[in-house]
Amino acid sequence: MIDLPTLISDIAWPLVILLAWCIGEYAYGRLKLPRISTYALVGFLLAPTQLAILPPANTDAMLLLANIAFGLILFECGHRINLAWLRANPWIGITSITESCLTFVVVYALSMWWEQPQTTSLLLATLSMASSPAAIIRVINEHRSAGQVSERAIHLSTLNCVLAVFAFKVVVGLFVFQTSGELSQAIYRSGFVILASVLLGIMMSMAMPTLLRLLKRSCHDATLAFALAVILLVSLTHSLKLSPVLAALTFGLFSRHRRAVLNYSQRGFGTLGDLFSVLLFVFVAASLEWRNVQSGILLGFVVVISRQAVKIFSTTMLSHVSGISWKKGIFTGLAMAPLSVFVILVLEQTRHIGVDLVDQFAPLAAAAMAMELFGPILTWLSLRWSHEIPQRQEG
Amino acid sequence: MPIENFKTSHALTMGVELELQLVNLSDFDLTAACPDMLELLRRKPFPGNVTPEVTESMIEISTDVQTEYGPLLGQLLEIRDTLLLAGERLNIGICGGGTHPFQHWSDRRIFPKPRFLEVSELYGYLTKQFTIFGQHIHIGCESGDKALFLLHALSRFVPQFIALSASSPFVQGTDTLFNSARLNSVFAFPLSGRAPFLLQWDVFSTQYFDKMERTGIVKSMKDFYWDIRPKPEYGTIELRVCDTPLCVKRAAALACYLQALSGYLLECHDAPPAEDDYLVYNYNRFQACRFGLDGMIVHPKSYEQTLLRDDIQNTLDLIEPIAEKLGSLSALEEIRQIVLGGNDAGYLRNEYVDRGSVEEMVNAALLRFTQ
Repeated sequence: MIDLPTLISDIAWPLVILLAWCIGEYAYGRLKLPRISTYALVGFLLAPTQLAILPPANTDAMLLLANIAFGLILFECGHRINLAWLRANPWIGITSITESCLTFVVVYALSMWWEQPQTTSLLLATLSMASSPAAIIRVINEHRSAGQVSERAIHLSTLNCVLAVFAFKVVVGLFVFQTSGELSQAIYRSGFVILASVLLGIMMSMAMPTLLRLLKRSCHDATLAFALAVILLVSLTHSLKLSPVLAALTFGLFSRHRRAVLNYSQRGFGTLGDLFSVLLFVFVAASLEWRNVQSGILLGFVVVISRQAVKIFSTTMLSHVSGISWKKGIFTGLAMAPLSVFVILVLEQTRHIGVDLVDQFAPLAAAAMAMELFGPILTWLSLRWSHEIPQRQEG
Repeated sequence: MPIENFKTSHALTMGVELELQLVNLSDFDLTAACPDMLELLRRKPFPGNVTPEVTESMIEISTDVQTEYGPLLGQLLEIRDTLLLAGERLNIGICGGGTHPFQHWSDRRIFPKPRFLEVSELYGYLTKQFTIFGQHIHIGCESGDKALFLLHALSRFVPQFIALSASSPFVQGTDTLFNSARLNSVFAFPLSGRAPFLLQWDVFSTQYFDKMERTGIVKSMKDFYWDIRPKPEYGTIELRVCDTPLCVKRAAALACYLQALSGYLLECHDAPPAEDDYLVYNYNRFQACRFGLDGMIVHPKSYEQTLLRDDIQNTLDLIEPIAEKLGSLSALEEIRQIVLGGNDAGYLRNEYVDRGSVEEMVNAALLRFTQ
């Protein structure tokens, strides 16, 4: 006899992912809504803590899968970052540092004023610095957007993501030191994790071209080989409790500058990338709890608004001097709205290494949820308003 | 609206237009960067002229009216440096080459200018396929009659210019085996090919153009996509068969080669042009597109078969005295180098073999443009 509850529980995840994909296609086709917003909405509504259609996930396995998905997207982000551009136009780097630091200061001040504990405020501020390059690049690829807003949103979000990881590791190090009193553990948690993750990424970027040369493949496209390498790298850093985010980004960045070739037809890792992105965005939204969202909604809302205002202010102020119009400056800031994927994965990761921050972060959960849904829509709107998305009715 | 009068120009003045590729430096595909480039370039005076082209991954530059090789090359270098500087600020690569080796036409988007939108409406996908990059050379003529004479006298030399400038061996990611695959895209347009054999401007304007206009097919000379067409508002003829070379030095040399050749033809050393010259026109044109300098062409008068490489060498010898008078001997030297060392199509193919991918081929073109 088939055990119906077991069957339903077993197929719940694949079914929900299929459902999310279907609704995503429908919303994209009808309303042009970014697919990842729909995936997030489906994940959040059907989560174990909301409608409970999804069973509580085996978090470690799901977290690894989500990290692989995230790793693939981050590898692509790293691969698209042109360090030579930062040298040729230093205003890009200056914009990045300005908007990240200002976001940190403003959110920290707001949170302290809201009478949150200092550690909470520090972590809230560091995580607010980061935009989600994953969400931004998915929207850009999905809508075939091209232009300065797209290009700068990718570069600035990747840079602020790296800055946020650094800041976050430092704050977590402080947190560990305060709670455990062990300096060595604190240093390990921050400095070593950063260094080791970056080194692993660099090593992988050196190993892959050598391996491909040894194989003497007739096909020039190395996309599949790099996808497999990302999966290996993420699994390795995940298991060693390092930072898959930094490792994958570094791998992408160094591969690009070592002239590794990714085929143009495989942008975003093609179908594999699409598959993983459904899974990633459903999973991260499903790990948010309405209880948390509800209790932190007010501060979360204030954080979202002020963070967005600071980002728009910084990119606009520095737009003309960096070579674009004021208008495109505004849209670049707006396009950097997405926040969630990175933050949620980092929070999950932190819980995984024994520091449970999720429950303390109701405002962040609220901000993350809001931006999970609306962030990609704001990115899409800014790309549309800046005319970087092609018109549908074109000959 | 009837065609305007042919404006008188100083004979043998010249101007160059280059259509250039705008490349994404991450994946080396074309990118719709023209609006951002124009926005940035508008902030300072441009050393020449810069305009959008039919799709947003293209940008067109043009020089002022020039008379000599040195100043022409000087202006082209200045334009190139200005473009490269703007490209650096915006993370956009700029290069020559008649086709982008792997772009997909369906990814292109039409630049939102009324004429481009109209053309796109009329020609459908052909317009996006028209994301190809050519060099147009204008030669000043004293009258409409002289312009038409020169236009038809030059027809026998069209294959030389195709072979010398050819830089479009790959299309949609595949080696076409052509040296200039770009011209196949031009041929798809119904009003492409050669101009009708008329030698008097009056006859051309009152009989041919007016009739064509009454048919409703054309509104202006811009609607003709001929290999060489008269441009009455500038007082020039415009040679349109060249692929954009990979570097501006070659573009300047091609212009001066045409200038000296035009000077030679206007001196009427050869038999005058005739309708029958066009019997071999399309065949010779194909040979040049397909085989480049190794193409075998048929002389329109003697029907003698000649290797294009040899034909160019002979022409170079004939026009050398005129080039000397015009101050463009260095340009002829550059043309000799192409004949000996091969055209840009051969260079790109070698890069593909050496570097192993179409993306790296674009990277090689980007580097070549800076040299």
